[in-house]
Amino acid sequence: MATKKPRRSTAKPAARKKAKPASVPAMDTKMALALAANPKKSIAQRVAAAVQLTRTACDDAQLFDEILAVLKDGTVPSPVRLAVLQALQAATFSSPVFDICRPAYLSALRALVKDPDKELRQRVLGILAREHDGYTQQLLLEGLRDPKKAVVPAEKALQLLSYDVHSDAYPVAREIVRNPPNQRARREALRLLAADANSVGMFETILGNKKEAPEVRQLSASALHSLAPKKLQDMARKIVLDKRDDHKVKATSLTALASFGSDSIARDKPLIAKVERLEGNAASSAVKRGANQFLSKYRP
Amino acid sequence: MLALEASLSEAQFCAAVGQLKADASKRAVLAELLRENNPVYDERGTAAVVRMRGWILLAIAELGLTEPELLYVLEELDNGHDAYLVAAAARALRTYATPAPVFAQLLLRALGNMRSRDDVVSLTTYGGYTIVEGSTARQEILRTFAWLGAAAREALPELEAMRGEAGFSAALKQELGLAIGAIGAACAEGAEPHDCCSPQADAWKPAPGAAPLNMQTVTLEDQDGRRIGFRELFTGKSSVVAFFYTRCTNPRKCSLTIEKLARVQRLLREKGFGDRIQTAAITYDPAFDLPDRLRAYGASRGLTMDDNNRMLRTVRGMAALRGYFQLGVNFIESVVNRHRIEVHVLNPRGEIAASFERIEWDEAAVVDTAIAAQQTGTA
Repeated sequence: MATKKPRRSTAKPAARKKAKPASVPAMDTKMALALAANPKKSIAQRVAAAVQLTRTACDDAQLFDEILAVLKDGTVPSPVRLAVLQALQAATFSSPVFDICRPAYLSALRALVKDPDKELRQRVLGILAREHDGYTQQLLLEGLRDPKKAVVPAEKALQLLSYDVHSDAYPVAREIVRNPPNQRARREALRLLAADANSVGMFETILGNKKEAPEVRQLSASALHSLAPKKLQDMARKIVLDKRDDHKVKATSLTALASFGSDSIARDKPLIAKVERLEGNAASSAVKRGANQFLSKYRP
Repeated sequence: MLALEASLSEAQFCAAVGQLKADASKRAVLAELLRENNPVYDERGTAAVVRMRGWILLAIAELGLTEPELLYVLEELDNGHDAYLVAAAARALRTYATPAPVFAQLLLRALGNMRSRDDVVSLTTYGGYTIVEGSTARQEILRTFAWLGAAAREALPELEAMRGEAGFSAALKQELGLAIGAIGAACAEGAEPHDCCSPQADAWKPAPGAAPLNMQTVTLEDQDGRRIGFRELFTGKSSVVAFFYTRCTNPRKCSLTIEKLARVQRLLREKGFGDRIQTAAITYDPAFDLPDRLRAYGASRGLTMDDNNRMLRTVRGMAALRGYFQLGVNFIESVVNRHRIEVHVLNPRGEIAASFERIEWDEAAVVDTAIAAQQTGTA
């Protein structure tokens, strides 16, 4: 009797499972560092060891320098360096003695602002930008003025510069609004300018321009609320009354009126009548919700 | 020599300071360059202002710190929060002719300010940025304690207590040990510290006969959106006027100023002057600090706000206000790039009777000055 050939399974190959993160036993800083730095161990094991550095990263100056050396070493695999960075970031909150290590930590981060590893570079710049670091601001501004020197995309640079209203970013942000390299950069430039009192006129123009994308108009509404709340209220009213305006912007306007409008709106009969019609007939559920919110405050 | 103006690049500024260093006849210009409202800082970002000021302080350190520059150095130690500037100030102080006990308290304060803001800085390169070697602000402060010697005697107990603190690295503890050793040795030798200079700014009055600026153009708006003219508000009773802005990131400046103003209000009430002397907090940032923001900022710091105690923004006449008070502030567009602490006492005619600037001011002293101004009236 011929043996049957084993039946070939017709089942699809099992979906590639995500590798379980390696677990390593709890260990002291020295051992964790040795494991994280060991090129013979798997990346997963090295990452797991790096995570353990948080608790005790700053307890010993020499060990801390060695941790920083792993972070700065371009031959160490990216996931390990990122895990070390994450451990250090966590240590800034969880270690009661991190103040001791802060100078060396910041110095090491500055050494990485042009690192070839894109994700590491962006995370480092993010940390320094949140510190309002002048060196970082100078580098980011240089990159916006001369894209050949940029270390991150324009939209990222603008986002990082927006952490400090005192950075000299407004002129370049305005230029990017006028001549954006891409729409993401334009949006980030607008977000940055939301802290600029001299940009009220620009935001009014954008909010009132139906040719602008709804997201950009909504962003402008938010900026106006911060910089010139009465102007936003006036414009929101016009937008709600305009039957041809975009439904997303209309919903935003209704929310602005409902949340921040003055008591005098209760006497605005044309506006209330319009919102009542929107509550009943609007095609957009967001507009209906906004109308409902408005009327719960102002319905006579 | 390059004219020191806003259009200079930082590289040109750096070169200009080098020229000033080399020319003894231009020494006074260095102190002038430390005024916040010097035009050389117009339309510069805060980071640029820090780089420029640090470079001036280091130039002063090379030449030796003198009296006209001293208050700026002490100010940085008292309430500065940038490691580069604090380090440069501590370095500059070591070149002053005479160590004085009053410096010790300011150095202790600087150590505390820098505890969670310390950084490695280069005191030889423009801007202070370094990724290699350098010193830190706390190291420089401790070295200045060593220089103070016997003049730091009163600070010894606090310095000794720091030996056991967790916030000091081995390297800093070594500097701390050297400082304590130097102070102890100087005291053992019987050195007597020279008691000079008060860091408190002397009260000043406008020059007699000076034409008053046209303050009739100045209109203010308070935290409730009520508008009032400068003259209408500030004549009839004495006033304590503090300057601030809500986007200030230095907790030892604006936030502390408003908290202290709240204490001034309490002291005035306790002394029976709560209705007879008014307080006012005026923002440097009127375009952004709208009434709701003013109110929230004051409320969260315990400030009373009513007809006699207001938070204000200028809706008209900011230039006149800046000129009247000679405000120690500068801007990049509408955003403050640097400012000093300043509290002014006005007499019932709205004239400046006294000013407390740069160094942390004493609430009781301000209250006493305001009461004196109220009681002498228009005399």
